[in-house]
Amino acid sequence: MSRPLQLTIQWKWYLLTSSLFLVSIFGLQACNKQTAAEANAQTPQASTPANDIPRLANGKPDFSGIWQSTSGADYDLEPHNHREDAPPGAGVVEGKYLPYLPDALEQKKKNFAERKKLDPALKGYTLGVPRGIYYPAPFQVFQREKDLFIVHQFGHSVRTIFTNNTDHPKDPYDWWLGDSRGKWEGDTLVVDARHFNDKTWFDSAGNYHSDVLQVVERWTFLDRNTIEYQATVTDEKVFSRPWSLSVILHRHREKDFQLIEDYHFTLEYDEFYPPKPPVSN
Amino acid sequence: MKQVATHFFSVRKTALVVILTGLSAVSFAQGGIPIEKNFPEIKSGDWTGPRLADGQPDVQGHWSNTIANHNNFTDPQGGIPNDPNPRPADQGPREGRAPSRVSDPADGQVPLQPWALEKVKEFQVGFHNPVKPEYIEPLARCAPGGVPKSLYWHGYEISQYPGYVLFQFNSGTRIIHLDNKAPLPDNIKLWNGDSRGHWEGNTLVVSVRNHNGKALFGRSGEFISENGTIEERYIFNSERTRYNYVATITDPTVYTRPFTVTIPAKRYTEKDTPNGWHFEVEPATHAGSELILEHYERICAENNGAFGITAK
Repeated sequence: MSRPLQLTIQWKWYLLTSSLFLVSIFGLQACNKQTAAEANAQTPQASTPANDIPRLANGKPDFSGIWQSTSGADYDLEPHNHREDAPPGAGVVEGKYLPYLPDALEQKKKNFAERKKLDPALKGYTLGVPRGIYYPAPFQVFQREKDLFIVHQFGHSVRTIFTNNTDHPKDPYDWWLGDSRGKWEGDTLVVDARHFNDKTWFDSAGNYHSDVLQVVERWTFLDRNTIEYQATVTDEKVFSRPWSLSVILHRHREKDFQLIEDYHFTLEYDEFYPPKPPVSN
Repeated sequence: MKQVATHFFSVRKTALVVILTGLSAVSFAQGGIPIEKNFPEIKSGDWTGPRLADGQPDVQGHWSNTIANHNNFTDPQGGIPNDPNPRPADQGPREGRAPSRVSDPADGQVPLQPWALEKVKEFQVGFHNPVKPEYIEPLARCAPGGVPKSLYWHGYEISQYPGYVLFQFNSGTRIIHLDNKAPLPDNIKLWNGDSRGHWEGNTLVVSVRNHNGKALFGRSGEFISENGTIEERYIFNSERTRYNYVATITDPTVYTRPFTVTIPAKRYTEKDTPNGWHFEVEPATHAGSELILEHYERICAENNGAFGITAK
């Protein structure tokens, strides 16, 4: 009994790889044998749903779509009890707790104590990286072979991840969303993001960073509607060592779901525009 | 040292935004925003240029208007109305400058109802002495430029995807849906409205609903209300060097009749020299020798949002 089953799996696998190869030849000029070979190497088990992920014409995974985390990470990256402004949570950090340097831990405690006043998100500021990814609002990925634009509903701010073999600028600014350069490791998009400003937080509990923040992200499809997102954070001014977090991103599949622009920072002056007609009009 | 330097650079960039926002003369002199006074008509018709895999005409790239910034909606090269220190270049006979962006009616004026005309005139005075918060042009507070002003506020980038056309402006982002999604409910009001589009040959046809009416058309104060709608036609030439934006704006709350706005735009490529208004790109760092230009983050510094020219 086991032998025919084995053959069946191998046969399916042969069909799958063959079709991948055929697709790469017909109609998709940018695709090549190397890409198909890479795909094969990354998916040794024929039954994994990773074989069924959307791909660009060049064979790379296509993350286009509207995504959102249900992790609750934005309440607090670290394990925490329920409190007035957060449900309980076990946290999303590998090793549970963030390795703050002593002075930085004091700053974090101050941030936490005054979070209702200091949290940049409450002011409508751009969320930064990685917070924008697990903040409880959707973002949309627009992907081409040479780049990905991440449009966050919150603030409608756009982050570019370049995937065209370019490197960080030699004379960078400090940016809200940093400078992101991506490369492919098999079917995983690995992004090196750096050159951040120090105006964003990691969550609404006051976990923070400095302007030497560097983030290395790994984006991997678990299946066509699910992404595993990992981020490794390095910031020698704030933390004693690099640390990592991981969340799952789900594709929005509700009928007619779309981003709705949320320029949160305009709320304070929305009332002044536009001019109003006279009441008698 | 590096951090100090980049901080300084960041601050300096913010200061530049203030200058560009507050003093049109500076940007005029430095950036050369008006590059033509007349522009060719482009007829709607077949698209004979390259297409994307999904069949859309490929119009991706960097674009910018060719006439003027948002100083003045109906006399685009005429400077800010009531400017106490007008530039000589903005003066002289009207025929010496580019035509009104209002291409219909023929007088080039927005057909405002009397109450709305009064508000516009009030703004044109208050702009120079903003003693009320509503006299601050909202773009100066980092608000999105809105429709149609975003099309004459710095250069912008168009990219295309199956089901979408994406506009990235310096202030604001527009997602044009080509995917036949149901429209948003009427009570949702947005700075850039909600856009549904489709291609007709060389023309991207977009219907804009759900305006919040808050983004003025410029420093001359013309506006639309949250009852307004805009039917846009982006008519591209197949050489992909230009397009004309021709839009019908309708709003029974503010205007006496629908009117038409025409805005010419030009595409910028690696052959063009980057500049601080139309084509704000930087050469990418990479191992090869080819020139790759990229645009840095477009985020107006929200925490500078209240600079508002001269008022808080």
